[in-house]
Amino acid sequence: MRQRREYHIVVLGAGGVGKSCLTAQFVQNVWIESYDPTIEDSYRKQIEVDVRAICLDLTLQEQSNLPRCGQGFLLVFSITSLSSLNELAELREQIIRIRDDENVPLVIVGNKSDLEEDRAVTRARAFSVSQHWGNAPYYETSARRRANVDEVFVDLCRQIIRKDITAAQAGEQEAYSRRRERPIRHGRRRRREKQRCNIL
Amino acid sequence: MSSVDGRSARQSKRYSVTALYLSMSANERDMEIEDDLAKAQKTLRDLKTKISAQSKKNFVLEKDVRYLDSRIALLIQNRMALEEQNEVANHLDDAADVQEGSFPNDEKTQRYGNLLFLLQSEPRHIAHLCRLVTMAEIDSLLQTVMFTIYGNQYESREEHLLLTMFQSVLTWQFDNTPEYSSLLRANTPVSRMMTTYTRRGPGQSYLKVVLAERINSLIELKDLDLEINPLKVYERMIAQIEEDTGSLPATLPKGVTAEQAAENEQVQAIIEPRLTMLVEIANSFLTTIIDNLEETPYGIRWICKQIRSLSRRKYPDAQDQVICTLIGGFFFLRFINPAIVTPRSYMLVDGTPAEYPRRTLTLIAKMLQNLANKPSYAKEPYMAKLQPFIHQNKERANRFLNDLCEVQDFYETLELDNYVALSKKDLELSITLNEVYATHSLLEKHSAELAKDENSHLNVLLQELGPAPAQLPRKENKAISLPLFSKWETAIDDLTAALDITQEEVFFMEAKSTFVQIMRSLPSNSVVMRRPLRLEKVADAAATLRNDAVMVRKGIRAMELLSQLQELKVIDRADSFSLLRDEVEQELVHLGSLKEKVIDETKKLDEVYRTIRDHNGYLVGQLETYKSYLHNVRSQSEGKQRKQQKHQVLGPYKFTHQQLEKEGVIQKSNVPDNRRANIYFNFTSPLPGTFVISLHYKGRNRGLLELDLKLDDLLEMQKENQEDLDLEYVQFNVPKVLALLNKRFARKKGW
Ligand SMILES: Nc1nc2c(ncn2[C@@H]2O[C@H](COP(=O)(O)OP(=O)(O)OP(=O)(O)O)[C@@H](O)[C@H]2O)c(=O)[nH]1
Ligand SMILES: [Mg+2]
Repeated sequence: MRQRREYHIVVLGAGGVGKSCLTAQFVQNVWIESYDPTIEDSYRKQIEVDVRAICLDLTLQEQSNLPRCGQGFLLVFSITSLSSLNELAELREQIIRIRDDENVPLVIVGNKSDLEEDRAVTRARAFSVSQHWGNAPYYETSARRRANVDEVFVDLCRQIIRKDITAAQAGEQEAYSRRRERPIRHGRRRRREKQRCNIL
Repeated sequence: MSSVDGRSARQSKRYSVTALYLSMSANERDMEIEDDLAKAQKTLRDLKTKISAQSKKNFVLEKDVRYLDSRIALLIQNRMALEEQNEVANHLDDAADVQEGSFPNDEKTQRYGNLLFLLQSEPRHIAHLCRLVTMAEIDSLLQTVMFTIYGNQYESREEHLLLTMFQSVLTWQFDNTPEYSSLLRANTPVSRMMTTYTRRGPGQSYLKVVLAERINSLIELKDLDLEINPLKVYERMIAQIEEDTGSLPATLPKGVTAEQAAENEQVQAIIEPRLTMLVEIANSFLTTIIDNLEETPYGIRWICKQIRSLSRRKYPDAQDQVICTLIGGFFFLRFINPAIVTPRSYMLVDGTPAEYPRRTLTLIAKMLQNLANKPSYAKEPYMAKLQPFIHQNKERANRFLNDLCEVQDFYETLELDNYVALSKKDLELSITLNEVYATHSLLEKHSAELAKDENSHLNVLLQELGPAPAQLPRKENKAISLPLFSKWETAIDDLTAALDITQEEVFFMEAKSTFVQIMRSLPSNSVVMRRPLRLEKVADAAATLRNDAVMVRKGIRAMELLSQLQELKVIDRADSFSLLRDEVEQELVHLGSLKEKVIDETKKLDEVYRTIRDHNGYLVGQLETYKSYLHNVRSQSEGKQRKQQKHQVLGPYKFTHQQLEKEGVIQKSNVPDNRRANIYFNFTSPLPGTFVISLHYKGRNRGLLELDLKLDDLLEMQKENQEDLDLEYVQFNVPKVLALLNKRFARKKGW
């Protein structure tokens, strides 16, 4: 029997861009009109028989800690707000720092695409950001119309799974060479390399 | 704010003016009064200055620590390029205290003094700037604005000017945001401003006084699991069963859906009592918050009031509920909840809460927020079980949010504060060169928008100053004390006109304050103290006092004022100057109760000051640890290892079990009570960054246990919030161990 797998997805972005609406559409197929700012919500969704996605819908209190357990990140902005796009840069840096990985799976999401008349971020602009970020995929979504919602999550899951497989193959070797770079320590108490996740 | 109690506007103005007059004259040496009230007031003033200064220091330190927090992991894993190590090191060098200094020349001092005076006294410029800068620039701008330009957090003039700036930004935001839902939520300048504002002294004291106790008592219950998400409850439940019995019955499969978990009767039975407890806890939080309405800082309440009146203006048809949501969007979302969810960053608790209490606090925050907002249970259906809490409390919460808005405006006092400020010669701002230069360059960058009008004062000043200097390296940055004054000397006479105060009123204020001062200085058993007061007698008593030139002068001045006011027909000798007399008497009553209030406030603030000083100690310690570590790593990678090894061994330092237990280093001990007295520990540092801790039993030569520790291991554990360091017999607390090592083994550079 194959092992059951769980992937941790973290949804991030400025306040009010529609992170919760996107997540709720994906997980529960519902549209939420009212605005109920998030403190911290978590959901699970069965993607395949033995793959579950755990989605963590966060909001950032200033620069509070990002969860270290996230394996993939949805970076959401609203196409109606340029500053919401600009804020993603700092978030991405933090993610890379925390995951210690330039190629951490992520997807850039321009939400509220139904509000075309209020568009403040051109597609070209968003694409250029995506290019600068190692060609991270860019999607425009509408949580309201449920447009492209599954696509962004599925894309992210694919990236995570791909990474998981390569990592499993290369894992041993990587870990070995990494450890050798470190200064030699005697009597060091090794702790589990596995990241702990308090939130989920 | 001074109370008005239904008197005419004209009188009320006089009333508040007198209070100001008192505070103004308190600065003038020869007018100084030395009664108990004055002494108590002075203590309070000093305390407030200290809190203001300290909270700024902490704000800056926190930024440094956060910066390092984010980089230290890479460093520990040895994955930081040398270049970046140097950058980090530069960032840190001399981060501690900025030296005193001055501008390169007097002309610069004067021009910057003019510029900052303008910025401080006309908040619209900064308000405008806040809307123009990028989100990347706004944080440092806000730091300068909130902790420097308006950094005297307890001084009414600066507080009120800051709030005026808020109002201008808020109004703009309301005018330019199409949907009210995202108004206070999206990361706009306003929302950043609000968050930064809550971190000033008064907001911090409120949280400490009102919430700390509640949160702490919750955190002590480390094992209290109040999870109500059925899926998580189910999983914990079967994990427990599996652990206890070694297997799982077929009725409890793994990997069920949320719905299946919610239907499980055992799960329901676990959740039921937890709901009751959560409601009880949330109720107690809410009650505390409501009961402390009067403790809520004036500025925070005033912002609530602005939100209410701006929303009413913009959405005339909005229901009360919608408006309460907006007020709650500030009060709960930006002010209360962040402190509940992350109490450590608000200095409310010592350590990071354990997993269960952390979750409980998050649930409480959600419940409070659901009170203010219309919750959509579509997201987390299990939260619907807490609906009764919302129904029971909705009304009182909305009433409370409205009550928050019931504060007076300050415009009138502000005008007068400004008036007083202008007449003072010694307005000063303590600021760093880099803050000045950064502000200057932001103004320069946006001058096309800010100083459209060539003849505007701002433009004239910017032209005079020329291009903004670049930021100085940290080492060369200096703290200066900048005298503020207006380039455009406004004669007080003009100002009286502009402020709508007449000469009569100025005399009246002075008379009132002089009489109050006299009364406060005369012995309380003197006959002239009897009510109703007879003002000529009072003046006379002062003017004829022996051996007290100051009082004599005041007495004579009081007589002069009486006759001048009489001539101007403001008061009338025929009715014993009743207009003035009544106000003097009232003022004295007010002052009488003032002393209690002052002493009371001092007590509270003392507590606050102690907390932020402790927090400062913690931050400084943390910074020191990182610094030493960094120095270590760098000198090693520079290949000086051999030289370093010649460093002498430090220690051993001996600590008893009891000592370490008392300091919290030992957080758990398996040593039987009767043996503890015989246990001691030796701490040695053979090399910088390396420690050996050994555990000994009295009378035995060999230690029972020896542990090699690397500083980076400890830092890594701390980073991962792993607080236990296991020594078999005892468990150490990682942050406390770090603090201890820090104290004991601080070498000059590196440990
Ligand atoms: N027109 C439109 N509105 C949307 C869309 N997605 C979300 N919204 C609206 O935007 C508001 C905020 O949505 P949320 O999903 O709660 O925003 P969020 O990013 O989770 O915000 P925080 O939890 O505060 O960080 C709600 O009023 C939604 O109805 C969309 O695709 N189109
Ligand atoms: Mg949300």
